[in-house]
Amino acid sequence: MSNRKNNQPDSAVNAPSNGGTKIWRSLGELESTERFQDALDREFVDGSAQMETEEEREVSRRSFMKLMGASSALAGMGLAACRRPESLIVPFTESPEWSVPGKPVHFASSMPRANGAVPLVVTTHDGRPTKLEPNKLFDKHAGTDSFTQASILDMYDPARSRDFLQNGAQASRADFEKALADIADPSANIGFVFGDDVSPTRSRLMQELKAKFADARFFQYEPLSGDARKQANAAVFGADADVVVNFSRAKVVLSLDSDFLELDQQGSVSGFYKNRFIEGAGYNKKANAKAMNRLYIAEGGFSLTGGMADHRLRIAPSQVPAIAAEIANQLGASVLVKGGITLSATEKQWAAECAKDLKANAGKSVVLAGSRQSRELQDLCITINSLLGNYGKTLKAVNSGRGNLGDMKSLISSLNKGQLDAVILLTPGNPVYDADGFAEAAKKTKLIHLGLRNDATANAADWHVPAAHYLESWSDARTSNGSLAVVQPLILPLYNGVSENDLLLALLDGKLFDSSKDGETTSVSYDAVRKTFAALADGSDKSWLKFLRDGFWKDSSFAAATTLNAVSRQTINLPSAPSKGSLEVVFATDGSIYDGRYANNAWLQEAPDPITKVCWDNVAVVSPKTAKDLGVYDKILKLQPKGKVYGIETENAGVGPDGEGKDHANPLVKVTVNGRELEVAIMIGFGHADNVVSIALGYGQGFDEHDELKRGPKNEKDVSLVSVNRGFNSYALRTNNTPYLATGAKVESANKRYSIAMTQEHHAMYGRALAREISTMEHDHHGHKADFAAQIEGVKTQGMDSHAPENISLYKQKGSETWHEKAQADKHLYDQRQQWAMTIDLNNCIGCNACLVACQAENNIPVVGKEQVAMGREMHWIRMDRYFSATDGDEDNPEMIPQPVACMQCESAPCETVCPVNATVHSEDGLNTMAYNRCIGTRYCANNCPYKARRFNFFDYNKRNPLIEKNLYKGPGGKKAVGEAPHLQRNPNVTVRMRGVMEKCTYCVQRIQSAKAKVKARLKKKATIAGGSSVDVKMADSELRPKLDSVRVACQDACPSSAITFGNLQDGDKAKVVRSRNSARNYELLHYIGTLPRTTYLARVKNPNPSMPGAKGIGRATIEMY
Amino acid sequence: MANFFPRWTNLLPLKIAVCLIFVVAGLTAAFSYYATPKAQRVGYQPDQPIDYDHALHVDQLGMDCRYCHSSVDKSASAGVPTANTCWNCHQHVQKGSPKLAPLRAAMGVDEDHAPIEGAVKKPIKWVRIHKSPDYVYFNHAAHVNRGVSCQSCHGDIHKMEKVHHDKSLSMAFCLDCHREPENHLRPLEEVYNLDYNAEKYLLENEIKNEEGERVTTQKEFGELLKKNWSIHPKESCATCHR
Repeated sequence: MSNRKNNQPDSAVNAPSNGGTKIWRSLGELESTERFQDALDREFVDGSAQMETEEEREVSRRSFMKLMGASSALAGMGLAACRRPESLIVPFTESPEWSVPGKPVHFASSMPRANGAVPLVVTTHDGRPTKLEPNKLFDKHAGTDSFTQASILDMYDPARSRDFLQNGAQASRADFEKALADIADPSANIGFVFGDDVSPTRSRLMQELKAKFADARFFQYEPLSGDARKQANAAVFGADADVVVNFSRAKVVLSLDSDFLELDQQGSVSGFYKNRFIEGAGYNKKANAKAMNRLYIAEGGFSLTGGMADHRLRIAPSQVPAIAAEIANQLGASVLVKGGITLSATEKQWAAECAKDLKANAGKSVVLAGSRQSRELQDLCITINSLLGNYGKTLKAVNSGRGNLGDMKSLISSLNKGQLDAVILLTPGNPVYDADGFAEAAKKTKLIHLGLRNDATANAADWHVPAAHYLESWSDARTSNGSLAVVQPLILPLYNGVSENDLLLALLDGKLFDSSKDGETTSVSYDAVRKTFAALADGSDKSWLKFLRDGFWKDSSFAAATTLNAVSRQTINLPSAPSKGSLEVVFATDGSIYDGRYANNAWLQEAPDPITKVCWDNVAVVSPKTAKDLGVYDKILKLQPKGKVYGIETENAGVGPDGEGKDHANPLVKVTVNGRELEVAIMIGFGHADNVVSIALGYGQGFDEHDELKRGPKNEKDVSLVSVNRGFNSYALRTNNTPYLATGAKVESANKRYSIAMTQEHHAMYGRALAREISTMEHDHHGHKADFAAQIEGVKTQGMDSHAPENISLYKQKGSETWHEKAQADKHLYDQRQQWAMTIDLNNCIGCNACLVACQAENNIPVVGKEQVAMGREMHWIRMDRYFSATDGDEDNPEMIPQPVACMQCESAPCETVCPVNATVHSEDGLNTMAYNRCIGTRYCANNCPYKARRFNFFDYNKRNPLIEKNLYKGPGGKKAVGEAPHLQRNPNVTVRMRGVMEKCTYCVQRIQSAKAKVKARLKKKATIAGGSSVDVKMADSELRPKLDSVRVACQDACPSSAITFGNLQDGDKAKVVRSRNSARNYELLHYIGTLPRTTYLARVKNPNPSMPGAKGIGRATIEMY
Repeated sequence: MANFFPRWTNLLPLKIAVCLIFVVAGLTAAFSYYATPKAQRVGYQPDQPIDYDHALHVDQLGMDCRYCHSSVDKSASAGVPTANTCWNCHQHVQKGSPKLAPLRAAMGVDEDHAPIEGAVKKPIKWVRIHKSPDYVYFNHAAHVNRGVSCQSCHGDIHKMEKVHHDKSLSMAFCLDCHREPENHLRPLEEVYNLDYNAEKYLLENEIKNEEGERVTTQKEFGELLKKNWSIHPKESCATCHR
């Protein structure tokens, strides 16, 4: 170990002479704790390779002896029956259309979402949907986010709602049908609560419902919908209005606390990313800084958009309107700000220069306000955009056709007034849990709930109806720009669920469609959707089939809305700025489970939060300064002593052996706001506004007796194995009047700890300038001037590569003494048809986890559970590293640089040379391959991987559910999970790995192999065309190459920012990957150790405005690093 | 003190050692023969729900492999025919034969081929004979489209009245061909011709190699095809294991 230490440079934080630049990934690294240094040396964090406790070790040793004895005895008896067990082949009786055994079939569908449906291409194997890809026919540059990627697992969730429930108890379908008939009395006052998505069929059915039920009322509810934004838009552009952004025309973007790239999308973002490519989206142009857009953001805590920003202003969210007002005034408005902070000179300069830049790009700029921000900010945003003349250019006001729907406040008030006989909840929200005051009000009515989960609302409702997943139902939806998209079922409802349209039609027709009985005929929803399509587009079969095939209708969009009124806001009132004694609580959208609706989704729960890197839980995030003020900074830094004694805080707690290992427990704080209290774990968020506490929503939905903090109520009925005892319920602090933030909070240490599984220190790499960046601005360092071109040229020599000598192979160098002609004969395996490579453009990567989840879906990667993640045993093949960097010692305002790292497919791979059984070897097309059935699990390869990209199956995570308490440690006695619903999602072309096997990124070798198999048919085609005998046909290597850029890997397909490029080096310049590798920004991670990785990175480019405050330090993190 | 052990025991350790050597050698020999796929799989000939006779259908009636195994040149899986494929002919041929009872059950008809009201169409459960392990991804299309015949792996199926496992299909078997594909390559037109004989074919068709010499043996012919078609079978793990 010491040897390795000597050969490696120190981590960047401690690096000498780095020009005041610091880069760190966690508090431990920033403070350079002993435990972090130790973690650097290790392949996995301490404890990951050991049994947990002495007791478990003892049990397993004994059970091992017992089992060995038993199995050898049985083996002796069973020798006679050595032949393989008989297995059957059961073909269909009648061959279904399109079905070719062993071949996937792809269908177009789309996922309805509040901020616009996502057109998808769904891969099905033998009728099982297994993978979702963006519909590239709809938008060539489109991707999906992690929620969409993971939504397929929701369908296979074993805890999914299967039964009708009456007051929480199982009931029959027939009973519900009877109850529904009672409710469907034309004179009844029925309230319908829809989600925020737009569905033309639903809108049409709404009209019919209005006709049948004269007193019916319609509402719309999702816990994170931006009501203020809707109201502001409605006031200016008329009821139902929405504003859609067209980023492709925007040169300057200002975000006022809006995470518009990820969690608060306000229009398709592919245009934004397209303008980030400085060499053009195809890497076919000369690097041109002017081609790049510029992003300003003012926000509280880091969002992914904030990480992308060229200029980021750290400011409490409640005070963002002050900045907005300053900008508006600079642009010619006269808005008076009452209360709030007095802007500092820097902040004023920030606003002034930003306004100047916006003005210079009037009509080519966009200003966005966070959807859940205050009405004041929304009005200011509209004012600014109007002053800039952006409407009609980069912004389009449209009529969404939602219909005038009430919100949660009006629903609660109608309920309290007793105006509703029944409420039918069709929203994806969970109002009993996430809407303040709803549970109480709903007692006064008959509640009917349609949902996928048995959540709090399902159990509290008079009737719960198991819903059909969107992959099981017929519907239609509108994308963010209003294109009509189809929602097609890929499979009959697994548990006979009811779709939203089925239920609405049942109310209209009096008969509930039963997919298990009536599934042979077309469903009623199909007819309804087709009818809507005929009205909106065309009634012909041809058009309908085209709609189904393409997944969207080409010439459809929202109708444009006209400006009715100007905004007339002259004064804004701000709450006073947060201070030490009176903090501000922000109810943040969770990057993993959104508003809590994905709580049962194990992939999303296990995906580390993009910013905090916390898995399976949420935490309260505060800035380092606030943490110090609260007296918890040292507690967060220091660990509990070894052994599990959470709950008791000891004064002289020792320092544990490792950072984010199994003993990692964060201190709890008590947050008091709105007259309510919550105890929540706390952690440091770099770049977070001072005196602001951000708590993600959606966690803490249910607890059972295993809860670490022994919390109540014991409502495990509302949750599943995946979501039980997870995190802290911050909805408890939220009221209807404070949907986004609450001021005047008190935070005090609670003298308790809570174990947190955090991955920011896991698989930490040595070396400097890992994620590189440059700036379009001229850079001046001690008189050395470097303009943009010089910085691009310098990318390859940043960090260690500036002084480490070039690696030279010790033997077989031409011209050297050891060279001999025979060496040429010993050619390496080298395929002339294909050599695969990948580039990851850090300039576009926002670090959103979409690739990570897509990889999990494609490659059958198991979920390991919180305890295993804490031990460093997470299995994700792609890990999303996230670095903070600060220049000139300004640690309070760092930049954030994400960097996805998977196996680099080194040409000279260190792992291959150490495998004792040749289980990991090189293939002739440049892949570093894993033969799982050969692997004996020595883990030497992982030990020798400088990128720490290999993952080891410490347990049989696929067969034994790791979420059941202690299940993994029970060996063969543990509960097996074979043939459970999630297994239906497995990709049949990828091996499901078992215990004791090493695994890692394969470049989706199954996709490469299927492309290779496909080109083999070309021989026959050529022979047929030529006529005559196939013997005379000659095939060249180029004819047997997969079609240019046709092999796409799962992460590349999912990437919303087109940051990942994959392709065949043998295609030469025609291949996008070759062009991107030829970019001067291209560099190899840890180049100086000479592994010749096939995956390379393109340095991030920041595009600062030279006259902004702090512009000098932007994009400089790694330039001076050597 | 008397001798505890009689004199003959002096040689006992040696005898035991010799014995052990034989036992271990015997066990090794037995294991290396009986536990290999060659001994385990070759000859496996299970009873099928319908006594389907390949010899009758292929050899006598001249049906092409692809009539039933229709995805063999399109997909990784060759495909076992769906019941309605059989029914295409057997709704007219061998009406009412007791052998075809499972087929009629699958089609939901009675002995006179009249549809049975409300019948559940029970698919035919064929017994699997050839199976590659789960960690092996074999692709039929990639082979038959490159001049490897069904025969190379499945043997003389067209002569089998009842199909049995003919070749070992072990990894060594695969590698033999991947290393020397010339022993198996044949013209694409002959891939499904199970009566193909290379020498005979070369007698009937005059085929010359690059040097202009006439090709007469399978090996020479295979080498020519390999070159013309640019065939480079892979031996790296990821070819089959992923």
